[in-house]
Amino acid sequence: MKNDNRYKIAAREAAESRFARNVAACLTESAGTVAPDVAERLRFAREKSLEIARRSRDGAQGLGITASGEAIAGFSQSRWWLRFASVLPLVALVGGLVLIQDWQNRTQISVAAEVDEALLGDDLPINAYRDPGFSEFLKAPPNE
Amino acid sequence: MATEKELSDFLKSVEKRAWKRAVYAVRDDDAALDIVQDTMIRLSEKYADRPAAELPLLFQRILSNATMDWFRRQKVRNQVVRNFSDFESAAGKEDDFDILETLEALGGPLQSESAAESVSRAQILQTIEAEVALLPARQREAFLLRYWEELDVAETAASMGCSEGSVKTHCSRAVHALAKALKAKGIST
Repeated sequence: MKNDNRYKIAAREAAESRFARNVAACLTESAGTVAPDVAERLRFAREKSLEIARRSRDGAQGLGITASGEAIAGFSQSRWWLRFASVLPLVALVGGLVLIQDWQNRTQISVAAEVDEALLGDDLPINAYRDPGFSEFLKAPPNE
Repeated sequence: MATEKELSDFLKSVEKRAWKRAVYAVRDDDAALDIVQDTMIRLSEKYADRPAAELPLLFQRILSNATMDWFRRQKVRNQVVRNFSDFESAAGKEDDFDILETLEALGGPLQSESAAESVSRAQILQTIEAEVALLPARQREAFLLRYWEELDVAETAASMGCSEGSVKTHCSRAVHALAKALKAKGIST
């Protein structure tokens, strides 16, 4: 009984497969005869794809040459220096800006110090004593 | 890595079948050509460095994806919701239809039954193509990949993104539906 069922299933699968392959053969026969304009467009698409593949390969080869150059120079094992080199300009820019800011601060402080020094070191001009505002300032109590 | 000649030969060998497959799916010759071109370009751009043996499976996968992309674009363009999940055959009841008997009858090279002289070979092929195009999408894809592209069950499952059991079910249903439809039209083997 079991063998009978197995035989039926196998026969069914074989029949399905045979039929399917016959249909596929017909489809292949039909696909062999496409309209000339379709065949032409397919040819164009194929050539375009091959051109793209060629360019892609050339690009890969270019990268290969670069890699061999690196190998000769002894850098091929690690790529950390490439990353470092890529962030180096940014680090230099930020460092430069910090230095410029610091230099400007120092210059401003230096100029202010020179002015203060000149003012404090110089004698009080005589006209200052004749200024009513200055007299009031001197008379006023220090805590006001 | 596949050489340029291997890639060229491969594309030449699959391009017409691929176009037919796309036509069955989208039912528009120009759109099918665009899909095949897109598939070839994607294969060449991304997988030209793969061994030649890997190209068939990759190509079928890309073709399926490109076809789905086309349907998605159409859906957005037309704002029409198309029910892709309706993969079940409308003629589900096959109690009165002895498939094994029919399949056995459809054994040899396809030909017309009683009107063999009056129906040309080209018409028979056209009818078969039309019936294949009428299959539900997943059944048709499984059938074509399995029997036309001659992928094995595992490769077909990988290409369709489903289980091997689903592939077997889709293929079996497709064969039964085709056998029944062709028998009804007087085409047997």
